[in-house]
Amino acid sequence: MIEIQNLTKTFGPIKAVDNLSLKVSKGETVGFLGPNGAGKTTTIKIMTNLISATSGRAFLNGVDVLTRPKAALSSVGAVVETPEFYPYLTPLETLAYVGSIRGMHSKDIKVRSNDVLQQVKLEQWRSTRIGKFSKGMKQRLAIAQALLHEPEILILDEPTSGLDPRGMVEVREILRSLQQQHYTIFMSSHLLNEVQEICDSAALIDHGRLLVYDSIDKLKTLVKVVKLEVTVVGTASDELLNQIRQLPQVRAVERVGENVFLVTFEGVVDDRANLLQGVQSFGAKVSGFSPVGLPLELMYMDLVKESR
Amino acid sequence: MNGFKVPSDLAQIPVVWRYELLKYLRSWRLIAAVVISFVVLALIFFLPPAFGMPYSGTDDFRVKASEMYSLGEPTPFLNFSSVTVIGRTGSVISELVVTVNGTTYSADNWTLVKMSEASQMFPIVGSLNLDGSHLVFFKDNMTGKVVNLSYHYRITAETFEGLVLNFASILIALCATFFAADSIAGEYYNRTGYLIFPNPMKRETLFAGKFSASMTAGILVIGLFYVGMAGLSYVAAGGVDDDLWKSFLFGLEYLLAASAIGYLVSVLLKGTTGAIVLTFLLLFLILPIVDGVSMYAKVKIPESLTFSGNVMIYILQDPYPVDAAVEYYGSSFSMFYPEPVASAIVMFAYAAIAIAISLVMFKRKQLAG
Repeated sequence: MIEIQNLTKTFGPIKAVDNLSLKVSKGETVGFLGPNGAGKTTTIKIMTNLISATSGRAFLNGVDVLTRPKAALSSVGAVVETPEFYPYLTPLETLAYVGSIRGMHSKDIKVRSNDVLQQVKLEQWRSTRIGKFSKGMKQRLAIAQALLHEPEILILDEPTSGLDPRGMVEVREILRSLQQQHYTIFMSSHLLNEVQEICDSAALIDHGRLLVYDSIDKLKTLVKVVKLEVTVVGTASDELLNQIRQLPQVRAVERVGENVFLVTFEGVVDDRANLLQGVQSFGAKVSGFSPVGLPLELMYMDLVKESR
Repeated sequence: MNGFKVPSDLAQIPVVWRYELLKYLRSWRLIAAVVISFVVLALIFFLPPAFGMPYSGTDDFRVKASEMYSLGEPTPFLNFSSVTVIGRTGSVISELVVTVNGTTYSADNWTLVKMSEASQMFPIVGSLNLDGSHLVFFKDNMTGKVVNLSYHYRITAETFEGLVLNFASILIALCATFFAADSIAGEYYNRTGYLIFPNPMKRETLFAGKFSASMTAGILVIGLFYVGMAGLSYVAAGGVDDDLWKSFLFGLEYLLAASAIGYLVSVLLKGTTGAIVLTFLLLFLILPIVDGVSMYAKVKIPESLTFSGNVMIYILQDPYPVDAAVEYYGSSFSMFYPEPVASAIVMFAYAAIAIAISLVMFKRKQLAG
């Protein structure tokens, strides 16, 4: 459905995308992760014909977007960055414009416009000129125009960017419902919980290179480093913390409160049991022992740190 | 999932055209351009009469002794003895009544001749700088007599429209600045490209739709200007010049070329303000300065777009003016006039080359950053 082959993009001496290859199957929802400047948006811009590639290929539905952009983008709905809209048009007129370009009949445009505007909760603004819209409203409209023609592929760059918490939840609900309808979704995001919640798989890039690409479940198993929050009865003495630092596989110990501290630990589930025993062996009465942070976040931090 | 068939490139052009035109129809720019053109028409129509220079009326005056010229004894070739000049140029003279020493002078004894006709009849007259004037020839020698002339005058359509058309080239440059200069740059600067570029549409199609909308807005303004001018010409001059349609066609060609230059600037620059200012300066200042300097330097530059654009004014003139040397306040400079055919070619070349370069660059221009 989406296939990127050895994609490279350079801006002068900077390699924004470096020999990137990945494949997204039909009906799959893939999160595209990476720190700022990793090459996420550049990759998405190449896929949506906003910029050219230095080398490589990008297929959408089997059509190379770099050589035949019109055919490749016919079954794609895209939101890239937070687009601006023509301020002199209303949402209905904007949707009619893009719908007509995409070959929709006026009757279909009317029906679908009402549907998507309702979906993104903009129905009461349908006839208001967009010039007056807030950033969040524009982001909703951007999602609406991407969904208008019921494309087979959705390419979304930070789809919840600019939305308030409620808006974020609503957009995630929309994405989940699209996922259930077997849309193929490729979305970049900074929000790891969002990707973990919505996506089947995630691709992590840094410096334009693919670090890892696998299903969310498998990625969770890659997590080697965990942060454990330990609560003891009474005061956690400095001596106790120093003793814990000497335990095998412990990378760091950090005091959070009088009786609470964080242990950065490298190991699997069995090793954690050994750690708990070790802490107790120093005479500490442990009343709480739980991992903090999302598995994907930990994996992300770990891999990005390694790549740098 | 969708089953929509993406329209052909050709079918997408009217879609872009429609929504781009809506931009102009809902913007102050189109309204401003129309208002400016009507204000100009009104000023040209009302100001001269308000300042005591009506377009029609009656003159009744005594010919000064110094303006009555003796032609000597009548001959079979020149059956007149004296002549005087009616200095009202660019007008039709009618109902002339001549009185000599208080008595009406018979119409059989004088004849009224347009300067252009007189110069053909009497080559020596052509050497006098009396363009657009009329001559009254008398069979009798009128020098030393009290001669009064009374006549009705009305400005010619050619003169009136020529006066109005001096502003048309400015209006066209204004249209190119308003409707073309930021058309492409705006997609990048205002980030609307993020909405429109990821659609299944070629950049050439988008360009064609936008350009045709810019031209439509320009044609609307220029068309209204010409219609308004023709209406006022009927009122002021009693008709329109036969060559007005040619002037309109040249005007449209100039609009095409100026808009193409606007698009080229729009593709080259990133910011909308820069694109508007540069287009404005090119069409209002830089090229006209080149034209002005060329006249002083006595070097004709027919390749200048603004120089060629002036053909829409001169095409009304019968006969078509020819290049001439002029003395002005002790300085000598050249009056150059654009050749109609050469001007048509130059304007077409500007349009074709600017559009071709703009298209190539627009296709390559990236929405990065």
